[in-house]
Amino acid sequence: MGMNKLQANLCLLCVTLIWSTEVVIFACIPNDVLPFATTCITSLTGAVLLFLGFFKRIIAAFRQDGLKLVRDCLLLSVLDCSYNVMYIYGLDDFDVSTGAFTLSMTAVVLPVILLMKKENVDIKTWISAGLVLAGIMFALARNLFDISIPGLLLIFGGCIIRAVFIVRLNHYARKYDAIAIAFSYTLPVAFISFIIWVIIQPATFAAIPWNKEVIASLFIYSYFVVALAKSLNIFAQRRATPASATIIYSCEIIFSLIWGLTLPESLIDPAAPDAFTFIGVAFIVLGNMAQLADFSKLKRRKEAQNGTS
Amino acid sequence: MGLLDNKRHPILSGVLLLLILVGSYLIVAIPFKVMEVIPGFTDIRPVMLLQPIYGLFFGIIGCLASAISNLICDIVSDSLRWSSIGGFIANFLGPLVFYLFWTRISKKDFNIRNAKNLLIYCAVTLFSALVQTVIITPMVKLIYPDIQGTLFALSVMANNTLFPIFLGIPIIILLQEELGLHPKTKKERQ
Repeated sequence: MGMNKLQANLCLLCVTLIWSTEVVIFACIPNDVLPFATTCITSLTGAVLLFLGFFKRIIAAFRQDGLKLVRDCLLLSVLDCSYNVMYIYGLDDFDVSTGAFTLSMTAVVLPVILLMKKENVDIKTWISAGLVLAGIMFALARNLFDISIPGLLLIFGGCIIRAVFIVRLNHYARKYDAIAIAFSYTLPVAFISFIIWVIIQPATFAAIPWNKEVIASLFIYSYFVVALAKSLNIFAQRRATPASATIIYSCEIIFSLIWGLTLPESLIDPAAPDAFTFIGVAFIVLGNMAQLADFSKLKRRKEAQNGTS
Repeated sequence: MGLLDNKRHPILSGVLLLLILVGSYLIVAIPFKVMEVIPGFTDIRPVMLLQPIYGLFFGIIGCLASAISNLICDIVSDSLRWSSIGGFIANFLGPLVFYLFWTRISKKDFNIRNAKNLLIYCAVTLFSALVQTVIITPMVKLIYPDIQGTLFALSVMANNTLFPIFLGIPIIILLQEELGLHPKTKKERQ
């Protein structure tokens, strides 16, 4: 039957929640383990888990779509790795809270990209994007004169690439099997991350301080964040528009703020939200509500009421 | 599903299903037993998201799998005590609440396709969590008198409501709507 719009939105919200727990899971991994190392290991393990669980489905998808599926998923992997690398280096110039807000810029960039592709963009998507942009501006206003321009440009570039990634993913999600996409673009991500990892840290696997906590964290990340969240995201993207998905993703800042306020300092940099942060979050929540509200339903109901009266 | 749907060997297919469910539970649960997610507070149990799934999609076998898996987790993590009997009962009853509600009480088939059904699911989750808290807390308090009963009860309630709601709902949607798994409750009602 396939999930409906409400279910797709719930799934996207869950995906965002899972992504936001990344910091909590990675708290058990020493800081000297490179992000490329964790991406390589978790992507590889996630892909293996997906293959073990759905090998019949994945093989059938490859038989049906073959090279086209491989080519398109390879593009997704390159986009995924590119925006993640830009985020990793861009975020070095920001504190956690401000950095998280800047990542929400994808929600603003995406409608512009859709417009450039001559695709229709709803008025409510523009309203949502405007509200999210206002939220980011409020959050950045606090450190306006201390903002690092190169860092901001890197994150902005990452957001543009991520927006392109979401548009492509949304398109492919309707074209190919969701699990096959999740598997086929996760595997090259592991490979690309491995190449970068070897260049930066030739000792690779030997450089990781293996212990039961590190193994458990990597495994949890592999099945929750990689295998589950990626598959769930692709299934939900089939029923959602790229714009609505991106606006929901911007909720990650709200979850991150909750973790920052509730979890101990040993796990996550404690959040010290000020009025600007709360106003910023409030605008992002409003942006989400504007995107999710079904105005046409309200209009129909009003018309029906007018008709009966 | 092949062997799992084997009508000629129902006991064999039941045992096989039980083993698969126990295995899946342990894969999710054991890493969280190994690592201390929040220092000083070890009992974060995302595996509780499986309870409604086991009850709704696998019926009594699912309930049994939940109880046995929890017991195995207690053994593996060296926390097997007399209170594990309470844990066994509670972890059997938790998924059973979902199964009984949609086979005996609700007149409609299970799905989460609208806001009303979503609210019903949340209410059943809350009731299931309450049942488990009422069973586990007194037994643990009896064996460990020093433990803070209220805090313990709150942690059981939180684990058994938050994870089945925030993680369980999307996975149920995925299983039912996209992966074609039908709730066992539907077959039982027919």
